[in-house]
Amino acid sequence: MSTDSTKRNVTVGVFVLLGIIIFVAGIFVLGGQQKRFTKSIKIIAVFSDVGGLKAGNNVWFSGVKIGTVKRISFYGAAQVEVDMNIEQSSQQFIRKDANATISSDGLIGNKIVVITGGTTSHPEVEDGDRLKTVAALSSDQILETLQENNNNLLRVTKDFKELVGNLRKGKGTVGAVLTDSVVADNFKRAMRNLERASDNTVNLTGSVSKFASRLNTPGSLANQLVTDTTVFRSLKRSATRFESAMTSADQSINTLSRTAENVNRASEKLNNTNSPLGVLLTDKETAQSLKSTLKNLNTSTVLLNEDLKAAQNNFLLRGFFKKKAKAEEKQRADSLKAVQQQMADSTANKP
Amino acid sequence: MFLALADVFAFISRFFRELFLPPYEFKEIIRQCYEVGFRSLLLISTTGFITGMVFTNQSRPSLSEFGATSWLPSLISIAIVRALGPLVTALIAAGKVGSSIGAEIGSMNVTEQIDAMEVSGTNPFKFLVVSRVLATSITVPILTMYTIFVALIGAFLNVSMNEQTSFTSYIQEVFGAISYVDIFASLLKSIVFGFTIGIVGCYKGYNSSKGTEGVGKAANAAVVTSMFLVFIEEMLSLQIVQSFR
Amino acid sequence: MSKTSKTGEESVISIRNLRKSFGDLHVLQGIDLEVKQGENVAVLGRSGTGKSVLIKIVVGLLKPDSGSVIVLGQDVERLTAKEMDAFRQKVGFSFQSSALYDSMSIRENLEFPLVRNIRNLSRADINKAVEKALDDVGLSQTINQMPSELSGGQRKRIGIARTLILNPEIMLYDEPTSGLDPITSIEINNLINEVRERINATSIIITHDLTCAKTTGDRVAMLLDGKFERIGPFDEVFADPDERVRQFYNYNFIN
Repeated sequence: MSTDSTKRNVTVGVFVLLGIIIFVAGIFVLGGQQKRFTKSIKIIAVFSDVGGLKAGNNVWFSGVKIGTVKRISFYGAAQVEVDMNIEQSSQQFIRKDANATISSDGLIGNKIVVITGGTTSHPEVEDGDRLKTVAALSSDQILETLQENNNNLLRVTKDFKELVGNLRKGKGTVGAVLTDSVVADNFKRAMRNLERASDNTVNLTGSVSKFASRLNTPGSLANQLVTDTTVFRSLKRSATRFESAMTSADQSINTLSRTAENVNRASEKLNNTNSPLGVLLTDKETAQSLKSTLKNLNTSTVLLNEDLKAAQNNFLLRGFFKKKAKAEEKQRADSLKAVQQQMADSTANKP
Repeated sequence: MFLALADVFAFISRFFRELFLPPYEFKEIIRQCYEVGFRSLLLISTTGFITGMVFTNQSRPSLSEFGATSWLPSLISIAIVRALGPLVTALIAAGKVGSSIGAEIGSMNVTEQIDAMEVSGTNPFKFLVVSRVLATSITVPILTMYTIFVALIGAFLNVSMNEQTSFTSYIQEVFGAISYVDIFASLLKSIVFGFTIGIVGCYKGYNSSKGTEGVGKAANAAVVTSMFLVFIEEMLSLQIVQSFR
Repeated sequence: MSKTSKTGEESVISIRNLRKSFGDLHVLQGIDLEVKQGENVAVLGRSGTGKSVLIKIVVGLLKPDSGSVIVLGQDVERLTAKEMDAFRQKVGFSFQSSALYDSMSIRENLEFPLVRNIRNLSRADINKAVEKALDDVGLSQTINQMPSELSGGQRKRIGIARTLILNPEIMLYDEPTSGLDPITSIEINNLINEVRERINATSIIITHDLTCAKTTGDRVAMLLDGKFERIGPFDEVFADPDERVRQFYNYNFIN
């Protein structure tokens, strides 16, 4: 019985002791965490707004916890004095010209005091020193800025909306390109011209081959002309010119086909875009490529026309043109003049 | 009702009067500490462990909604140290210890054992009530410390399994979230809880009606009343601690 | 059946016009009783008529509504807590339910009053006293058992042994034979008489067992309607033709 009670006493003793050990250990770990038992110095900072800082909140320096807020009290008219306990071991890093700010350890985290700056030219802080403070960036301010951002965003989207609206209505370059029927007409006309130009080319080559066959027929004017060296030389020159004109026409046709391809691609892109930003981006491109396409188209048509004109200008081919293009009598008169000029030139060239 | 209240008040004041008057029943106090404390240790530790684990698990979804599961340790720490630890311990103790005190003293009352003590020149109040109330007031805080300890371990296991939190950072988080006020408030609170459980159990047992039915009623009333009072005190302590924080 | 002890002239228990009510239940309505030194009085009555209340008032567990109770020359009502403790050491009380402390072994039960009332007893003295008290009731072998392991008769005897350990001057028995078989009852009756002889105790025995009353009581007091209607030697009381008395007698002794 007495051993029983001894055993019980020991059990109770161990039980109570362990409980107390847990309690004391908890106190010490907590104290260690809050640096309650390490040597510390006191520094002060006076803020106009501490934004909900509480005693026990942490003090950070370069992102490292170096102490805790010990006491918060009102100071003067409407300022707040914050007393902080700073570990003695980090005293050397904090200079007298360091700044204190109220911050938080996360977006919605606890409030902390952040000590920043300080230069080694100043001595290190001492017990009871007062740090300069920098007005804290409060969450209110953050929200204010955010509100401004929102407003801006709103304006941007409004503008964008208008832009898209205008685009639809056909205002502005891109809009015009997309919606103007004149452009389409121009385009159509350009294509028609192109068609005509190629028709002319076909006619021309046909005429040229006929002319060449006649050239071989003795007694004909052409034959005579060819046999005549002077005429032949002149004719040769004309042929060379014609050749170059042909090459030029060929190039023009290549350009044209490229252009047509571009146009095709551009219109495809126009059809495919579905996101507003995409529309905007591709439209720009489209507009540009469309513009350049049209430009190319124009230049090539002009080139072709010039080539054709040059061909017509040749007196040797005048006869064909006389028979073929009755509608171009006025042009013929011009070319006649040019031929006469050429004849004069060629005679002048004759020694 | 007011008569009963006055009766309770007289009972409590008698406790404090007899607490300081010799002779002291040390042996009985230790025996009761053994019965109340040590014998409840396994039950309370298990409950604490489960509480820590389950609470952690149940808190996770609402925190992960904010992507803030890294806050789990501090949340758990605050919940367990401030509220769950003392409360769970007190409720378990009320169920286990409160009922047994109510039933034991009730049956001693019914079988005239209290009268027998009285006529044998022993103060039954001191022997039965003072020793038991002291035992609960001492052991419930200690059990609370165990509960908090075990619950935090349970929570750690859960957190480390799910968030791969290291023990060091867990401890940092846990102790970073609480303050001395929390620990001492919990300690004081659990002493009050222990006192409540002891005094209610003794009062109900001491004043049980005769007959076996009285014993059952006493045990039942001891549990119900002390649990209810524990919650009331929890609420009051919240108000009091708030003014210190 | 030996009523040899000398009863003194001095009145040890003196009860005058004692009244006690529990709410509307008027249990005792003017009790008068004088018990002389060394005298055994058996109090008879139906259950619930307040027999137990009477001896609980005598030992100070209950307070009377009115009337005076003088025991061993002291007014029980006016004792301070300290005086009451000293007074109760001189009064042994055997409870109807034995009232052994369930959580303690027999040894601890017997030690309980001893270590708390007589200070500075050595361990050996205590053990000796406990063993003697157990030997007196013939239950030495139960010393390390728990009360729940004992039979009703054994519990009763241990209960009596526990009160005897303080050598009381007055013994109060509350229903000593209730719930026991006849043979055990006889054993208890004999024990009561032994106790009386050994310590020359003055006793009040509450019972509704006429055999017990007849065996142990010098006088019997018949509690009827809250009063002692008849007080006197057993035969004298039961010679009464009163119907209430006769019913009592007839049940116990079928004749």
